[in-house]
Amino acid sequence: MLVMQVKPEEEILSRVWGRRVFIFECFGCREVHFPEEKIETLVEKFKEKVIGKLSCDYLCRREFVQDYINEYCQEIERAEIILIFSCGVGTQVVSSLLEDKIVYTACDTLYLNGFQGLTVQDFNCNQCGECYLNYTGGICPLTNCPKGLLNGPCGGAKNGKCEVNPEADCAWELIYNRLKKQGRLNLLKRVFPPRNYQKIITESLLRKGV
Amino acid sequence: MSFAEKLNKGSFVVTSEIGPPKGTEVEKMLEEAEVLRGMVDGFNVTDLQSSVMRLGSLAVCHLLVERGLEPIFQITCRDRNRLALQSDLLSAYVLGIRNVLVLTGDHPILGDHPEAKPVFDLDSVSLLKVASTLGEGEDMKGNKLDGKPEFLLGAVVNPGADPLELQLMKMEKKIEVGAKFFQTQAIYDLRKFEEFMKKVEKYKVPILGGIVLLKSAGMAKYMNEKVAGVSVPERYIKMMAEAKKKERPRISIQIGAELIKGIKQLCQGVHIMPLGWERYVPRLLEASGLA
Amino acid sequence: MEKAKLIDYTKFKLKPREEIEEIFKRVNRIFIIECLKCYRRFDDNTSEFPRLLDILGEAGRKISGNIGIDFLCNNFLSRKKILSLEFPFDEDIGVISCGLGVQFVAQVLEGKSVYALADSLPQSANSTTEVGFHGISLQEEKCAGCSECYLNLTGGICPLTRCAKGLLNGPCGGAKNGKCEVNPNIDCIWEKIYERFKKQGRRLTLNSVQIRNYSRPSLNLRKNLSVQNQARRGESFYGGLYPPDKKENTANKKIENFPEPEIVTIFLSQHTGKRARPLVKVGERVLRGQKIGEAEGFVSVPVHSSISGKVISLKEEIHPASLKKELALIIENDGENLIDPSAQPFRDFRNLSKDSLLKIIREKGIVGLGGAMFPTAVKLTPPKPVDTLLINGCECEPYLNSDNRVMIEYPEEIFEGVKIVQKILEVEKVFIGVEDNKSEALKILERHKEKIPSIKLLSLKTKYPQGAEKMLIKKVLDREVPPGGLPFDVGVIVLNISTVFAIYQAIVKGLPLIQRVITISGEDLKKSGNYLIKIGTPLREIVTHSFGEKREFFSEYELKMGGPMMGISQTHLDSAVIKGTTGFTILKKSSVKVSEERDCIKCGRCVEVCPMQLYPHYYVFYGKRGEWEKAKDYKVEDCIECGCCEAICSSKIPILSFIKKEKEYARNASKT
Repeated sequence: MLVMQVKPEEEILSRVWGRRVFIFECFGCREVHFPEEKIETLVEKFKEKVIGKLSCDYLCRREFVQDYINEYCQEIERAEIILIFSCGVGTQVVSSLLEDKIVYTACDTLYLNGFQGLTVQDFNCNQCGECYLNYTGGICPLTNCPKGLLNGPCGGAKNGKCEVNPEADCAWELIYNRLKKQGRLNLLKRVFPPRNYQKIITESLLRKGV
Repeated sequence: MSFAEKLNKGSFVVTSEIGPPKGTEVEKMLEEAEVLRGMVDGFNVTDLQSSVMRLGSLAVCHLLVERGLEPIFQITCRDRNRLALQSDLLSAYVLGIRNVLVLTGDHPILGDHPEAKPVFDLDSVSLLKVASTLGEGEDMKGNKLDGKPEFLLGAVVNPGADPLELQLMKMEKKIEVGAKFFQTQAIYDLRKFEEFMKKVEKYKVPILGGIVLLKSAGMAKYMNEKVAGVSVPERYIKMMAEAKKKERPRISIQIGAELIKGIKQLCQGVHIMPLGWERYVPRLLEASGLA
Repeated sequence: MEKAKLIDYTKFKLKPREEIEEIFKRVNRIFIIECLKCYRRFDDNTSEFPRLLDILGEAGRKISGNIGIDFLCNNFLSRKKILSLEFPFDEDIGVISCGLGVQFVAQVLEGKSVYALADSLPQSANSTTEVGFHGISLQEEKCAGCSECYLNLTGGICPLTRCAKGLLNGPCGGAKNGKCEVNPNIDCIWEKIYERFKKQGRRLTLNSVQIRNYSRPSLNLRKNLSVQNQARRGESFYGGLYPPDKKENTANKKIENFPEPEIVTIFLSQHTGKRARPLVKVGERVLRGQKIGEAEGFVSVPVHSSISGKVISLKEEIHPASLKKELALIIENDGENLIDPSAQPFRDFRNLSKDSLLKIIREKGIVGLGGAMFPTAVKLTPPKPVDTLLINGCECEPYLNSDNRVMIEYPEEIFEGVKIVQKILEVEKVFIGVEDNKSEALKILERHKEKIPSIKLLSLKTKYPQGAEKMLIKKVLDREVPPGGLPFDVGVIVLNISTVFAIYQAIVKGLPLIQRVITISGEDLKKSGNYLIKIGTPLREIVTHSFGEKREFFSEYELKMGGPMMGISQTHLDSAVIKGTTGFTILKKSSVKVSEERDCIKCGRCVEVCPMQLYPHYYVFYGKRGEWEKAKDYKVEDCIECGCCEAICSSKIPILSFIKKEKEYARNASKT
């Protein structure tokens, strides 16, 4: 789940300053989160320089974006900069299709737990490529512990709360409690070897087009 | 007699902590160490304690070795990946360092560079294992070493942590992969510590009880609220609160001595973390009958 | 244009053989829950189960059962499915899914040993910390969600996800022939960045040094956003959307009389059930309110003339709801509006019995005015006892304000109508649900509500399709109508606010259903507003009134009867207003024609928004293969055609057209 926030106003205004702008606005993930009002107030500040605006969804789908660009080719041609309100994926798609244009994004993107899963949710997956959940009662220590510790807690938790983020529970205490409930505390005895970061390189190579 | 020999013999040992300065001015720190010469068996040198950037532990340990004082090199997993950690262990050995205390390390977000990238490539357990492997003459990938660093490896444990069982499991793991002694988080509650000691007796591994001198009632309250596994009894807080500012070190030493005397009955050593009050450590040791 | 290449973003693969064997050594009996994968082209072979059996050989005997679940991480639907399974006490659970699914199952079945049988696949080329998210698309571009976007400095190419070291200040210098030193299969992204700048005639300046701030985004911010958004998605009922409501145009416009039509086209079928039988002949004069079509059978109602004039023909016209040719009486307006003597107020309505009230309602041609046009008299004689009357004032469709204006302008009539219905149904408990974007209506109803002490007026958070009966019942009463069931199955009758108004008019004023309030709104309109319009007014007059003469109307605009979500696209201006017309929405046809529809990429959005908790992507899958009858297995008959799935589809697939055809197949299958 990618969520965007509008960048600081000064930053955008300094990029746009005095130049003809064409705007792409993507609300494909509006059902999750969309900073609509912020975008409106921001665009209002340089509206006389806006020569065209396209609101659409799923700016991340190249074939649609190509269609949009074909339709608005004249305005885009005249524009000095293309300003994008979208997540980082949308921005990259547009800039790869308009390689000779200056494409700026007006947003910072952050992801929410539940990564590419269906809905925002409490769970998070680090895509580590070597799932540890079998030893931790199904609670991921990589994403739930800010230090990503595999061999037990750092010892910094106070009253079950994490020392890094006191609003969060200590992941290892959650793991402990769950395994205890299941009578499987012996799982904690295993010493984990360090992570294999090489996997990230090799596994990401497995992506194939369909 | 070295720290390791004393431990092996089963004698009561005393260690104290030294905090490297933020900057290159090391004189004051070395003077404070000098005062304790002959009184303590080892000097723990902290590794960017509380994630605050400062002079490195490795360099300070080396300075102590040069002066004939025995350091305990603290190493954390926060700032280095497995390459740097292994390399630094080799460096430490070459520089005459023989004792290493392995910790996970605080998260950078708690220190003075919160924007930093947290590394945590290894954790305390895996680093202990790696250090043991190095001692056997191999790096963590099984490559042979030309000359091997044989350290006395130590680790930490928090006797006041809740759930304690989880702590004990991690402690067991640490022992399994090579921890030969443990230093603990600050102890204020002797009864709780005694219970802890009963539980870990079976491991037959030396434990050095931690002592942090209380500087004020405020500090005690803060620790009770924020620091994991620490609970300063009301009685001590009251003593500190009632003491006038000038009197506080004296009262604090009195409390510390009381605790050390108690700890002495329960385990094999004491580990003092003065946190800036290094100058009072000799008086504390005297008052506890250790000097 | 060449069809873009889609990347298979399957999130997981089975663990290595040794690990799986190891797990199976530890278990005695195990039940396998499998996620059927997402973010990949939708085809048959999504299941990993056969491969698991292959790996296991003999040990496969330990498997006591298995289930494949679409989008296992869907908190709501999958939880329901998993909890409906029964597991013996000593059975462990194996999960084939990405880390999300495993964590989810482990939480739902907290007391069980849950084993992950798959590993998640890393998605980014960066081996330092970046995870990399591909958004909805299946393209090459990925985003790390770093919360401090660097794309403005790098010509729109992300160095975090595409440089193996995630370098922000230029290349490491290790690239050979433009290829990355870490992974020679990928381009050095910094060389790409350099080239792009060159193409734009810009110099790549790296004079500002970039250092990442790893404390962003703060854990709390992320947590809070997650919590907020979860709450928003789950509000009131599962699924649904928040389309922009676009009601401001007409919300404050008073109901006016729509200009007299020259002719009216009165369809004989303006209700669910059997078509009415014509009672008048061509050439005959009729009066306003005169019955011109008689109900045929129990589920049917009569139709009445909305004007006085002469019947000029009985012929087939395109019906605005079925879009098929259907029989209609065409009446020429004499402009006199002479009222039929039968349209007399019932002075003694308070003393009328339940049966006579029902008879009047039927005789006056009252049907549900929310759009479904179910005969009201039939609805008010449920075969099971009901305890609650729920009045629907949601009007969740964008643009429409007809119900809203009726509530604002006729509150007393509505309350009188409610009393009548209460009497018929013999129920005390009445709820009126109004969405909170209609604050004026809420205020006015509030002022009148002491007229019925047992009534509860509820302001509901706006969400589409809250106006659908089943959603409203769930929200207001927290009762769930069983699949294939009707509201009375859970003891409720739901009536639209305008239907209540029509009941009042029928009984108190004696007026048959010959006119109603509609909204005409949309884009580029000269006139928009809320109108009291005569049933049978041809669409041509609607367009001329609000738009002026426009020759190429249908090539540039879309005319929908109803709102933009559930509205039915009209193609013939000779068609006419019927009882179920809530309004007309005129929308500019999108100037961008999106090239031919795409394959389903199993993004799961349709499942996430379907308020009926269905899995709409299967309707597309089977529809495209021509296996229309298979949709029945996925409960296509439960679909309320709210259009949420189509509105959110990331491949822009016209899902509803598939569904409509499949429903027909399902209906025929049930008949035989």
